[in-house]
Amino acid sequence: MNWSDIGTISPVVIAVLAAAAVLVVDMAAPGRRGPATATALVGLGAVAIAILIQAGHAGSAFGGAYSLDNLTVFLDMLFVAIAALTLMFAADYLEPRGLPIAEFAAVLIFAVTGAMLVAGSTDLVLLFVALELMVLPGYMLAGFARNDPYSTEGAIKYFLLGSFSSAILLFGLAYVWGMTGTTRVDGPDGVAAALAHVVATGKIAPGLAMGLAFMTAGVAFKMAAVPFHYWTPDAYQGSPTPVTAYLSVGPKVGAFAIALRLFVGALGPLKADWLPVVIVLAALTMTLGNLVAITQDNVKRMLAYSSIAHTGYILVGLAAYAGGQQSGLSAILFYGAAYTFMNMGAFAIVTALQRRPGVSSQISTFAGLGRREPWLGALMFLFLLSLTGIPPLAGFWAKAYVIVAAIQAGGWLTVLAVLAMINAAAAAFYYLRVVVYMYMREPGEETAPSSPGMLFRAGLAITGVGTLIFGLFPALVTAAADAANVFHG
Amino acid sequence: MNLPILSLIAFTPLVGALAVAALPSRYPDLIRRTALGFSLLAWVMSLLLLAAYAFGPTGFQFIEAHNWIPSFGIRYKVGIDGLSILMLVLTTTLSWISILASFGPIKDRVKGYMISFLVLEVGMIGVFIALDLFLFYIFWEIVLVPMYLIIGIWGGANRVYATMKFVLYTLVGSLLMLVAILATAFAYQVGHGGSWVGAFDFQLLQQFAASGQFGDAFQNLAFLALFLAFAIKVPMFPFHTWLPDAHTEAPTAGSVILAGVLLKLGAYGLIRFAVPLYPHAAHTFAGPIIVLSVIAIVYGAIVSIVQPDLKRLIAYSSVSHMGFVTLGIFVFSATALQGAVLQMINHGLITGGLFLLVGIIYERTHDRTIAKMGGLAAVMPVYTTVFGFFILASAGLPGLSGFVGEFLVFVGSFGISPVIAVATIIVMVLAATYLLWMFQRVAFGTLSDFLKGLGGHLTDMTGTEAVTLLPLGFLIVVLGLFPSLVLDFLRAPAQAFLAAAGVAVGG
Repeated sequence: MNWSDIGTISPVVIAVLAAAAVLVVDMAAPGRRGPATATALVGLGAVAIAILIQAGHAGSAFGGAYSLDNLTVFLDMLFVAIAALTLMFAADYLEPRGLPIAEFAAVLIFAVTGAMLVAGSTDLVLLFVALELMVLPGYMLAGFARNDPYSTEGAIKYFLLGSFSSAILLFGLAYVWGMTGTTRVDGPDGVAAALAHVVATGKIAPGLAMGLAFMTAGVAFKMAAVPFHYWTPDAYQGSPTPVTAYLSVGPKVGAFAIALRLFVGALGPLKADWLPVVIVLAALTMTLGNLVAITQDNVKRMLAYSSIAHTGYILVGLAAYAGGQQSGLSAILFYGAAYTFMNMGAFAIVTALQRRPGVSSQISTFAGLGRREPWLGALMFLFLLSLTGIPPLAGFWAKAYVIVAAIQAGGWLTVLAVLAMINAAAAAFYYLRVVVYMYMREPGEETAPSSPGMLFRAGLAITGVGTLIFGLFPALVTAAADAANVFHG
Repeated sequence: MNLPILSLIAFTPLVGALAVAALPSRYPDLIRRTALGFSLLAWVMSLLLLAAYAFGPTGFQFIEAHNWIPSFGIRYKVGIDGLSILMLVLTTTLSWISILASFGPIKDRVKGYMISFLVLEVGMIGVFIALDLFLFYIFWEIVLVPMYLIIGIWGGANRVYATMKFVLYTLVGSLLMLVAILATAFAYQVGHGGSWVGAFDFQLLQQFAASGQFGDAFQNLAFLALFLAFAIKVPMFPFHTWLPDAHTEAPTAGSVILAGVLLKLGAYGLIRFAVPLYPHAAHTFAGPIIVLSVIAIVYGAIVSIVQPDLKRLIAYSSVSHMGFVTLGIFVFSATALQGAVLQMINHGLITGGLFLLVGIIYERTHDRTIAKMGGLAAVMPVYTTVFGFFILASAGLPGLSGFVGEFLVFVGSFGISPVIAVATIIVMVLAATYLLWMFQRVAFGTLSDFLKGLGGHLTDMTGTEAVTLLPLGFLIVVLGLFPSLVLDFLRAPAQAFLAAAGVAVGG
């Protein structure tokens, strides 16, 4: 280790310092909301600056275990944005419920630190450690409302199944290490090179196949792909709503970061072998996610199943890559960015409505929202249209890029593209159902306006503008995504 | 620098929508007038464009092209030919009429309504001028959202069911169309050494198609996807079931636009994109499509006879009338195609007018049941006269425009199959039956007890209502007497259409 290693991982270091600073500030001014939030946001800003300074540079640290490339920069920026938005939405929800904001901010930043490490990992061991650093704070966040039995129940389910899946993934990694004798992802003596040799000589050992199967199952758990999705609805519904917003994008993008480093980077030479599995996973995930979402009456649960469906669409991008299209990877990254803004926005509206404790997230809460609170209604409408995939919004381009990549790959992937579009049409039903409640039903009993705080409004503005701008000028993001689709591996 | 007149027309309503959004909602009258002003402005500009249209050259005019998403060769490219300019003027005309017709009936959430309507106009104009397939798709989807709101918020009792059905039907078709558009562009890209430049450009794609470079199997699949999207919108039998519900539940102006413009989007898509891009597939499927068209013509007419609700009756008659359009397209003759487009315009004018008239009676009675009406001629003489005029136009009375379109389709299809031609003639008799019978039940006889109960509410047409109907009636008479006013515009597009479709026949 030397100083240049520290320089390469400087965003991660600054993030850890920021989380520590939040805790120190909270000791100095216990329980005060302002200083803790400000410190956390300033810290995240510093992390963002550090990432931007690195943009365009390439490098590696710790003997190749950590790589700095365009993919790292893209994902790191996304994770910082996710953390900042979560914080902006959280304060208004936590304060009325007497939940401490400083601990929340610190735990959140620790989680994001893990996610950023995942994004740069090019070593199987570091990848696993980073993954655990990402998900362990997530379990804490899910159970953050200690006195709420649903929150605790969701957290326990999330924790048990999450640990289980981590173990499975680790098992798979061990197999790969055993069969290839290395933990480095790339380079002349990395896993990819060893596997390329295996493919060239023609025979995949049973042990390697086992490893592949375990790793697929482990990653599918993390990204909530069917049939490994069972933890999602309970964890999402039980968690405090800002946490749900975070869980629906943070760990999901993190799981796809693992998929990129692991399946594309390390296991790229075997892509012909895992392609059929990804196709089946994608088809099952989007279809089942959508069908079950149609029957939900709770908006948080509905968005949970919708997030499963979106995992399916993103998997189409991964399948397109395995089918020979590098642009499938850009599509995944674009989807991640677009999904972050529109989905966090949708959850933010749910959060705003639940600002007063005791308000449920049932769909009836939305009755007459368009009339009661025109701005919240209009923004929710925007997010839902984007999630449906109506042009010219971010969610539309996300789907379009995935579909283009799949059509270019051809064969079964064209069928998958058609299936994805039929699914998107079915999804319109449950997204627009919320619109029906907002605009086509009268408000129920008189409710006080939610009147969210300034920070919350700023967050809503960012997600709304992002959804719109990415839609009108998708080239803003595609340029970065295209640059990031070639990476170490 | 040339004036970007098409963009000006297309985005004037958007500016209007933003202006309306900026107005405080406590001034509904100001909002109404602002919306009307912007839609009138777009209308005037479209009339100027009509005057500036050059009849000589074939191909597209007033083309504007700007790069939008260079990595996929997607451009903002718009332009018009004789077909699109007619559709454009139809759209701008019906738009301001619809907005004016909403002044009285829409009292709740006026601001949202006017914003929706102006955005809807942007989408409709965009569909007719887009020369980039991706741009076309985007405008196509933009149309969907405001219509969803207009039916869902300001519609009748069963509005949520109707609007969801409308959206889901349309979305299934349009998303498959998106896949087909992307696949088409990709095929072009492969044919050009992997470069996306021009891959969504309609003119380049058509040249590519004309040189026979889309494989037959590919054409069949892509054509079916596009056809499904357009057939749902037209709507063709058996994809028509959303239409009666949507029409019945929509507010009056929504019905006018739905019948007058939205149904034309599907027919326009067939003429502009589906046939020229996939001519071989168009010929392969022409037989079944003609059969479906004839079924739609006959079925729509028969079902109309038994409808108890005024709007539902007109909705089913739309299915029948639009059957003539799809028939005229797929018999591949210049006469029939001109007839089909004329029929599109006539249907927009006549059915638009009929929905306005039903709206007027609904405003006063809050009912549309035919059985409850009777004897209107005695209390609303002006209204009844105008209603009778539109009924006769819809039934295809010679001298009014409805007759010419159907007659041209009849002549054009006679050469293909006399059986089909005879079937269409029989339906013209049926149309007279259901329309005149309905008119008789509503207008003549003694005043029904239901209408008597309304007493003084049953006033005759107001000035505003007359203003909405006057331009339509005027055009119906003028086009009935001088159909060449429209047909002149269509000569070049019809030749281009047949040339594009004829490739597979000759080869």
